[in-house]
Amino acid sequence: MVGLAVMAALAPYPAAAQAIAYKAPRTADGHPNLNGIWQALNTANWDIQDHSAAAGTVVSLGAVGAIPPGQGVVEGSEIPYQTWALAKKKENFANRLTADPEVKCYLPGVPRATYLPLPFQIIQGGKSIMIAYEYANAVRNIPLTDPGQSPAPSWMGWSVGHWEGETLVVDVTSFNEDTWFDRAGDFHSDALHVVERYTARSPDTLTYEATIEDPKVFTRPWKMSMPLYRHVEKNAQLLEFKCVEFAEELIYGHLRKKPSK
Amino acid sequence: MDIFEKNRANELFAKVIVLALLAAVAVLGQAPTKGWAQRTPDGQPDLEGYWSNVTITPLERPAELAGKAFFTEQELAEREKRAEIPRSAEQIAGTIAHYDFHQYGLDMTQTKHALNLRTSLVTDPADGKIPPLTPEAKKRAAERAAERKKMGPYDGPESRGLGERCIVMAHEGPPMLPPAYNANLQIQQGPGYVAILQEEIHDVRIIPLDGRPHLGPNIRQYLGDSRGHWEGNTLVVDTRNFNDQTNFRGSSENLHVIERFSRIDADTIVYEFTVEDPTTWSRPWTAELPMTKIKGPIYEFACHEGNFDMVNNLTQAREQEKAAGEAAKKK
Repeated sequence: MVGLAVMAALAPYPAAAQAIAYKAPRTADGHPNLNGIWQALNTANWDIQDHSAAAGTVVSLGAVGAIPPGQGVVEGSEIPYQTWALAKKKENFANRLTADPEVKCYLPGVPRATYLPLPFQIIQGGKSIMIAYEYANAVRNIPLTDPGQSPAPSWMGWSVGHWEGETLVVDVTSFNEDTWFDRAGDFHSDALHVVERYTARSPDTLTYEATIEDPKVFTRPWKMSMPLYRHVEKNAQLLEFKCVEFAEELIYGHLRKKPSK
Repeated sequence: MDIFEKNRANELFAKVIVLALLAAVAVLGQAPTKGWAQRTPDGQPDLEGYWSNVTITPLERPAELAGKAFFTEQELAEREKRAEIPRSAEQIAGTIAHYDFHQYGLDMTQTKHALNLRTSLVTDPADGKIPPLTPEAKKRAAERAAERKKMGPYDGPESRGLGERCIVMAHEGPPMLPPAYNANLQIQQGPGYVAILQEEIHDVRIIPLDGRPHLGPNIRQYLGDSRGHWEGNTLVVDTRNFNDQTNFRGSSENLHVIERFSRIDADTIVYEFTVEDPTTWSRPWTAELPMTKIKGPIYEFACHEGNFDMVNNLTQAREQEKAAGEAAKKK
């Protein structure tokens, strides 16, 4: 037993076993307290797989628009696409300047909302958990009791949560097929099923794991994981990032009235 | 039973339920306000759950009710009866479209709402009227109107209102006033925070309770910047830092809103707000309305993602211009 604990402590990140070594403070009703403002500190939103630095899609943005390099967050590094789906991903990548739903300020879906380069806040109530994201005012309400059948597919999916010891487990289904995993064109269908696991690994970090299942697009389930960092600034708060108005020219620009000649 | 009979039976059933629920709720303006003892796990007075602020009470007191602040219970019952008549667009003079508000749950017949004996939501000034705009505010309104006139109504997305653009709906506030439909909201409480999620348009106001100062003056937001504290059982929320587009009934970015949420029983929160903006109104004013508990949940209102309205309207305007141009050439 002691040997196991030592191994767990020595295991490199990400090791779920690490959760054993840390027990989070409790909320008044006895669950791990995950309240806080969190953010991923990685480049997964550019590409969830390993990628080198590269020029951006808008040449006029120069270095500001360049893609930062990053190590992937996908376990085993490979995304098990079906043959047709890999071709589709490449097509998405080629068209990303206009096809990426993030460019249009559309709701980001799950798990992408978690690792957008903007913070999100967990507000843990007794009966449900709310996660509010700075990007596009996206929000999820995660009941801790079965909410029944989803009435319709949606961008952020239909979530239900439960506690497994130190871990908040969220099962998310009933997605539409319109969100992506990143700016590299990684995508899914409406058969997407995501199981998320949020585990405190120290007072100011969480381990986030997401298992992705979609039999229409992938040959097997796959998983991503990453640490999330707490915003420890005393005045930290989510601000408004209502991006609709920044995307209107892109979406509606061709429908504007042209100045009369 | 054919499908129409079945629908009708379901409607009747729904209506009986609604009426039964109505009977159970407090009548605002009449019931003495009792405290609500329930607490959240971390000890805050419990406001959690799904709520609706739908009301049949007008914001300002109608002229014919001048001098009358409250209805009698019998008068209220009459008004309720009238509000429950299913409405459709056909009842609006001059419309030809068939649009049955009842069918889509957009009228009052299927919506639970708290009873309110008041004849206006405005409680101060005592005449139930919003104080007059200052000369500065009138000038601002004229300038805003002139600015709008520089564009045609469908020249581009900016020609349309913030709601049509899916940026923010006017009812979101703060202050939160009931919209024409979908008055659904959720209050969630976590340690040190109260969050208010309005279904339309999935905006969450996260209100810190730790006494921190407001954001600096250079950060401006559509929904402002809210800070809260408890006064006994009442949540008091102070909001500033609005941007210059918020325009609550002619307000400027100097708008300052103070909201008070008091839960008086299992089913009712009394919501009171005071707004002040010396550049807009001659004096602060206050309104009060009940919020009633609903079953929930809150669904995803993906407004921008499904905004075909904008595409269709702009497309049609361009087509009309093209047709007009061609017609002019032929002459």
